[in-house]
Amino acid sequence: MKKILIVDDDPNIRDYLVSLLEDNGYATCTATDVRDGLKVAKENKPDLITLDLEMPGEWGPRFYRQLAQDDELKNTPVIVISGLSGNDYAISKAVATLSKPFDREELLSIIKENII
Amino acid sequence: MFKKILFATSATEASDHAARVAFNMAGTLKAHLNLFHVLGVPTRGFSQVVFDVKTKKEVSVDDEYISWVEEEVKNYYSNQLADGVVDCSIKASVGFPHREILRQAREIEPDLIILGGTTGSDEDSVYKSSTGSTLQRVAKAAPCPILVVNRSAASFWGGLSNIVFGTDFSKASDKAFDFALKIAMSLNCELHLFHALDISSTHMGMSMSQDEIEQKIREAYRKIRFKYVSRMKDRKNYSMDVWEGIPYVEIVKYSREKHADLIVMAHNSRKLDIDGSKIGSNMEQVIMRAGCPVISVNR
Repeated sequence: MKKILIVDDDPNIRDYLVSLLEDNGYATCTATDVRDGLKVAKENKPDLITLDLEMPGEWGPRFYRQLAQDDELKNTPVIVISGLSGNDYAISKAVATLSKPFDREELLSIIKENII
Repeated sequence: MFKKILFATSATEASDHAARVAFNMAGTLKAHLNLFHVLGVPTRGFSQVVFDVKTKKEVSVDDEYISWVEEEVKNYYSNQLADGVVDCSIKASVGFPHREILRQAREIEPDLIILGGTTGSDEDSVYKSSTGSTLQRVAKAAPCPILVVNRSAASFWGGLSNIVFGTDFSKASDKAFDFALKIAMSLNCELHLFHALDISSTHMGMSMSQDEIEQKIREAYRKIRFKYVSRMKDRKNYSMDVWEGIPYVEIVKYSREKHADLIVMAHNSRKLDIDGSKIGSNMEQVIMRAGCPVISVNR
């Protein structure tokens, strides 16, 4: 089963994504901030990551920066899900950027396209 | 490092990306943030009738109207001001933006002026036609460095850890280096020293052989070591690079490569007499294109 890591500080979004993705046949793991996210990513080696931008402490782009320096994780596809304006530009190598509130079907189809 | 920051804002969406930088910087550096809003340009001369850029109406301005606008600015930034982290004051004024911003800068003597980019909506015609010149004029005459957030991509994305310093080895660049080093030291950032070797043939009037280019690159490295590395004492947290190409393209590319959170450059550093000249085409293009805030150091 393919595994997706959800990095978001908002518990409601995390819960929503976990149930949405698990209902659609994916395994999930979650993290609430950048440091936690990197730890969980290293332990679980997810097949895809959904990433919030604005979080307490370090922000999403810095998560991506550190992810990109890890040989085993650097090619993991990342989907940015954020309510921040201008979020298309935050992580140029992200496979997609969705603004909150997002369309669940759109998210699922992007995941399907990018998870190998 | 910065005790007072002047943030010139239109208090509209167009300034949101600059606002994110301004509030985060002021919060991190514990600096006082002065929100300054030029509410409109008098319809003619010293008329009291002003075209308000926010409401898009001609209004008669008096003290009451100005304090009402200040209240509006406060409401616009209520989210950022809610947690009380940033020590902030608000001032609204009437006149031509560049003149009023410079007047305010003379009055409060800030350590940094923050400006946004061009306004997004076509309806903002008053600013749309003049933002470029506002930036040029403020940059030219500002008594302190100015920080510009032109694209939404150049906004704040969560921290300040990599600073790119672009140099052309001029005297003005030396000043900009002092400034970049000061920020890097106070915020414990990595400092990337960068020189772009201009090989565009129109500028040089000829094309260079690769041997010649590489010779010049070696010379540039030596200059970087001599001029800048020698002044960093025991500091290890830096890197240096010289790339050949069109300078502004290379600086923008290099900054993206290094995940820069800030670019520091001297403006118009090839021409020291700044009267009548613009901020320099490279500086202008870097400001227009960079994916992070750009600080232009003037003197």
